[in-house]
Amino acid sequence: MKRLDTDVVVIGGGSTGLGVVRDAAMRGYRAVLLERVDLGQGTTGRFHGLLHSGGRYVVSDPGSATECAEENAILRRIQPGAVEDTGGFFVTLAGDDPAYADKFLAGAAATGVPATEISVKEALRREPRLDPHIQRAIEVADGSVDGWQLVWGAARSAMEHRAKILTYHRVTKIERDGDRVAAVLCRDEKGGEDVRIDCTFVLNCAGPWAGQIAEMAGASPVEVVPGRGIMIAMNHRLVNTVINRCVYPTDGDILVPVHTVSIIGTTDVHETDPDHLPIPRNEVQQMLDAGEAMIPGFRKARALHAWSGSRPLIKDKRVSVEDTRHMSRGMAVIDHSKRDGLLGMLTIGGGKLTTYRLMAEHIVDAMNEQLGEDRPCTTADEVVPGSRDGRLYTVTHRLEDREEDRLDDPIICECELMNRSMFVKALHEQPDATLDDLRRQLRLGMGPCQGGFCAARAAGLACSEQVADAERASGLLRLFLKHRWIGLWPILYGQQVRQTALDHWIFAGTLDVEHLPQPEEEIVR
Amino acid sequence: MSDVVVIGAGLAGLTAALRLARAGRSVTLATKGPGGLQLSQGTIDVLGYTPERVTRPLDAVAAVAPGHPYASIGQDAVGSAVSWLAEVLGPDLLVGDPSRNYQLPTAVGAIRPTALAQPSMIAGEAAGGRSYAVVGVRQLKDFPADLIAGNLARTTAPDGSRLAAHSAFIDLPARRGEADPTPLTYARAMDDEAFADRFARDVAAVAGKADVVALPAVLGVRRSGVWRQVAEVIGRDVCEIPLPPPSVPGLRLYDALLGMARAAGVRFIQGSRIVGFEAADGGTIASVTLAAAGGPRALRASSFVFAPGGFESGALDVDSHGAITEPVFGLPLTATDAGPLIPEVYWGPHPLFEVGVRTDDAGRPAGTDGAAVHPNLYVAGGIIAGAERWREKSGDGIAVATAVRAADHITGGAR
Repeated sequence: MKRLDTDVVVIGGGSTGLGVVRDAAMRGYRAVLLERVDLGQGTTGRFHGLLHSGGRYVVSDPGSATECAEENAILRRIQPGAVEDTGGFFVTLAGDDPAYADKFLAGAAATGVPATEISVKEALRREPRLDPHIQRAIEVADGSVDGWQLVWGAARSAMEHRAKILTYHRVTKIERDGDRVAAVLCRDEKGGEDVRIDCTFVLNCAGPWAGQIAEMAGASPVEVVPGRGIMIAMNHRLVNTVINRCVYPTDGDILVPVHTVSIIGTTDVHETDPDHLPIPRNEVQQMLDAGEAMIPGFRKARALHAWSGSRPLIKDKRVSVEDTRHMSRGMAVIDHSKRDGLLGMLTIGGGKLTTYRLMAEHIVDAMNEQLGEDRPCTTADEVVPGSRDGRLYTVTHRLEDREEDRLDDPIICECELMNRSMFVKALHEQPDATLDDLRRQLRLGMGPCQGGFCAARAAGLACSEQVADAERASGLLRLFLKHRWIGLWPILYGQQVRQTALDHWIFAGTLDVEHLPQPEEEIVR
Repeated sequence: MSDVVVIGAGLAGLTAALRLARAGRSVTLATKGPGGLQLSQGTIDVLGYTPERVTRPLDAVAAVAPGHPYASIGQDAVGSAVSWLAEVLGPDLLVGDPSRNYQLPTAVGAIRPTALAQPSMIAGEAAGGRSYAVVGVRQLKDFPADLIAGNLARTTAPDGSRLAAHSAFIDLPARRGEADPTPLTYARAMDDEAFADRFARDVAAVAGKADVVALPAVLGVRRSGVWRQVAEVIGRDVCEIPLPPPSVPGLRLYDALLGMARAAGVRFIQGSRIVGFEAADGGTIASVTLAAAGGPRALRASSFVFAPGGFESGALDVDSHGAITEPVFGLPLTATDAGPLIPEVYWGPHPLFEVGVRTDDAGRPAGTDGAAVHPNLYVAGGIIAGAERWREKSGDGIAVATAVRAADHITGGAR
């Protein structure tokens, strides 16, 4: 068994965990982050991409609104490469109560969320696909944010501060020494090795899986209720501005332009198992209706992909960190020293991606307090690697880059303008990665053809670059096609049926991928 | 006014048009695009999997389930239709026999059954412990030589022999300053004898020892026999492996059929969609409506052959509520709700793609009672229900056999 020694083990490679490990490392703690699969593979990668202006909460949750407004400004400064400055509108649709907009404006003024009412004519001029019957429109500072770029930016920053980020490490046990946490045991899934990490503190940031982790430490059960929401990516930018319905927050009231798509979301249904989140047909229909209400003709637009994410809601209120200085809105922290007599462990749930940095600050503050340390947070001041040119993301970035290198470098994924060098570089940075892992960083196979043309090329390059033999490369191809399908079948209509038929023609018809020699063991990671 | 209007320029439409024209009928072929042949592997599949690998396709045709397009046509008619096409296209384009499948490598290194192949491909037959030197071109991204060779090397051929393979790449731009060429860029370059010679010498220098040198299917598009030239220079058998679209072998078939159909007098209207029809008494189709530039135009004929493809071409549509329709004629389909036909798991059957038009024995669209809905309307190819063509490798045979059936019914069997 391999042994490591550290101050703090952070469990969970989503935005909370990465925010926390970066914060802890920047305060001089030796930190190790454990993620059972790849970074941002859970909730963080399964949201609508909205960087909140705070507008959504000005009436329902004023504290959250203020936090969002402040963190929005900070993220634009420290992680501009992950953020697109789309701006946002709150629109009152024909059937919505126009008086809510007055409450909204009053709430915005009270919470410090910048918001300005603009004329309907101006809103329609800027977003011509909006329903012309809208009654009012309020402009806010919404943006869109790429959750994967966000967590990888934080990860690279944490690594600069000497944190270890271990992906594909599944926690198997948390050992105690009397009433203290002593070590975290995990399984290196790729290396096939057990690892023991001696530590003085564990921060459980496993989101919907936090209950399972708490149980491993022998804590009394933590009730986590995964709140499932579905999202659908529609081809192209149906809008270039985030569109919110100006109503009390409800289902299907947000349309977010992200990269080359527009994402509609979302629903909220309680689930029991965060590893099995369905995308029910009735909810797909509900989202399409919601889209149609904002953008007439929405149903005729092309849906590319759907996914289901799970909000990590902790129901357990028995013992939480009472001091609100240590809490962000919507966040729940369980202090196991008070609740279970277990020192050196906090469990964190809830929260919002937009406020992930602030949550991390509060959590590490709470750890400081228990450890009797006084180390100030500096995460709001340092720009993360990859964002140091200070440029906000724009949807035309890649087009601009390809204009530069198109005569030297072939495009491997035409839909997302990913060239060979980008892919090969990522392959060598993460030689153990699956094509899905690389997809999250490069957008491989996320465009209209959903991998139809790029997937076999990617497998071929994995083989040629000698990061995989033919058996593994073929397994990676099969796994990628299997995974793409999970988000395709629920929205298979219109032009995407036609695309899927062509993709079948290529993979089943021309390439006969189905009849490649079977691997001894199916590649699953 | 023509005798027959054919809709669609894929394998089915072109085959029907050519056969009708050669039987002396005046034919107008209307098509939106250049058909599906350039999307295909450029061979003629008859039946490849049932789901077991098929070595004798016509025998397997005789055993298909009721409801399969072949069931109402029969082994003999399928065999003679495919043989007719082979005869028409000649041995420079198609060789083989519909009663026996070749087993040929694909561009990921799987072994794929097909009945008729292009002569440039057949040296790749996966049998007899064959050894391959798979040689790619650095600039050509859709021929992953290492993956192909790696997979071939771990393959036991259908005859039980173990294959051997190694890979190599050459670095040879097809056009100066172009980093991202398609297969067609190379195929056009190969039409120049000097380029093909240079290519062959470069391949010979890296290929190493093997029974056959496997190359991307880019060995010429207009000039025939480029593969022979290349094989001669290398001094070894070569085999072309088809690539994802655009398919050069498919384009060769398309060009040949188009040329022959034109020579036989077929009139082509390209670039416009057929969007509707006018019916006369008894459901007879009087004309189809062409959405031509400037306004709709009626194309009148005594008979119509509808060969528009299936879901891949948009000839079959699924709306956002899951309703499946055929939008031009509103033909009755074997299923109308896509929902239950879309599987949640990727690997395995995809029954949606079996949905289509059912026909009477003459190849006319039929209702649930089996009676033709329009007495002078015939369907051919991918619009017909009952087969998941890509998985079972039957699309070409279905296209050819149903096109010949329609043409022969229109001409009363005349050749």
